[in-house]
Amino acid sequence: MSLVDIADVTKFYGTNKVLDRVSLAVEPGEIIAIIGRSGSGKSTLLRCINGLEPIQGGRIVVDGEVVNDPKTDLRKLRQRVGIVFQSYNLFPHLTVSRNITLAPTVAKGMPEGEAREIARDVLRRVGLEDKLEAYPDQLSGGQQQRVAIARSLAMQPKVMLFDEITSALDPELTGEVLAVLEDMARSGMTMILVTHEMGFARRFGSRVVFMHQGRIWEQGRAAETLGRPQTPELETFLGAVLH
Amino acid sequence: MIRQFGWIDLYYLVAAMRWTLALTAMAFVGGSVIGMIVAVLRVAHFAPLRWLGTLYIQFVQGIPLLAWLFVFYFGLAIVGLPVLPWIAAAAAFSIYGGAFLGEIWRGALQAIPRTQWEAGAALGLGFAEQLRYVIIPQAVRIAVPPTVGFLVQLIKNTSLAAIIGFVELTREGQLTTASTFQPFTVYLTVAGLYFLLCFPLSQWSRSLERKLHVAR
Repeated sequence: MSLVDIADVTKFYGTNKVLDRVSLAVEPGEIIAIIGRSGSGKSTLLRCINGLEPIQGGRIVVDGEVVNDPKTDLRKLRQRVGIVFQSYNLFPHLTVSRNITLAPTVAKGMPEGEAREIARDVLRRVGLEDKLEAYPDQLSGGQQQRVAIARSLAMQPKVMLFDEITSALDPELTGEVLAVLEDMARSGMTMILVTHEMGFARRFGSRVVFMHQGRIWEQGRAAETLGRPQTPELETFLGAVLH
Repeated sequence: MIRQFGWIDLYYLVAAMRWTLALTAMAFVGGSVIGMIVAVLRVAHFAPLRWLGTLYIQFVQGIPLLAWLFVFYFGLAIVGLPVLPWIAAAAAFSIYGGAFLGEIWRGALQAIPRTQWEAGAALGLGFAEQLRYVIIPQAVRIAVPPTVGFLVQLIKNTSLAAIIGFVELTREGQLTTASTFQPFTVYLTVAGLYFLLCFPLSQWSRSLERKLHVAR
């Protein structure tokens, strides 16, 4: 059974249809790169997967639980689905350490000591072990984004969602965040990324999904889809982002 | 018996300031409890709760504070509850303070970007947990200066309680005037005492605003 199963999902903002019968199944360990121009519905789709956005039609099942079922405890579900945002969204009033331990201690009821061990561990994975007691505004954008990734990892999620996480970063800071993603990819994490990083998509994406006008316009194995686009829309899009 | 305004009268006025402060404190505590509830109602996900919060604020702010004092002082007596002036005043000021603090704190809660709520939700925190650990600690910084500013308003407005016979600073001034027939001197003294209470608070509020504005 797929880890994430999106079936026939439709979503409106008012009368504006932003997702139009989207279906996508993600197997454990897959790395899906969702590409497309802004307004194509790619970020919206990502946010529907952990229930941050409600859907009006279709069904989303994550790890055996129906996200759009009112009976589903979204809080429990979100502990298994990590998401990292474009604007990091760290808690500015808390130290890096507390940013990371907050959810494990509060939502999972983990003892403080154990949570701090995990914080140290995930910070080591993103190369920021020495920033345990720093505040977010003392860090660079790239470092903040790595802390945000660490914060999600601390919940030990089964799948990670990334919403254009390098878009707000300078090119030289993008590299350090991508390096963390590559490390996670190698460790077998299931990842769904909305991204403009075609290089990353090509090297690590097991599948590329191109969205256009709220639909999945074209998808396939990363290298093939990016190398030989089948639709003029994808060809135009790739022409625009690669130059 | 008419006598000169003297040290003993000043002493009584200063002593009456205690009751001004006591009423302010009661109103602030009561108003804070109500205000906190109202502010949280105003940011609730469930729309009818938000309406309830709005209704409370609109309703209370649409009625003069003096009317609230009369409602509690005379109204409750009519339905058979003998009400002491200080209880009526504390109740009326709590209700009034709740509406204003609720509105101030709602603004502070709403000033925190939606993405902060979202980040909390995405980590599996519930509404109350998001409020307690993520939103309120950040909102407090925004809320403190206007809250202190409201406290100054509250101190001055407690003078209205003189009308229902609660002996605080203003009422003591009336009583002193009645025995000295020196209203100008007496009320000037009363005004000076209010100023001594309020001015430091106003200054504190302004300095807080400067400090919290630049801080994290």
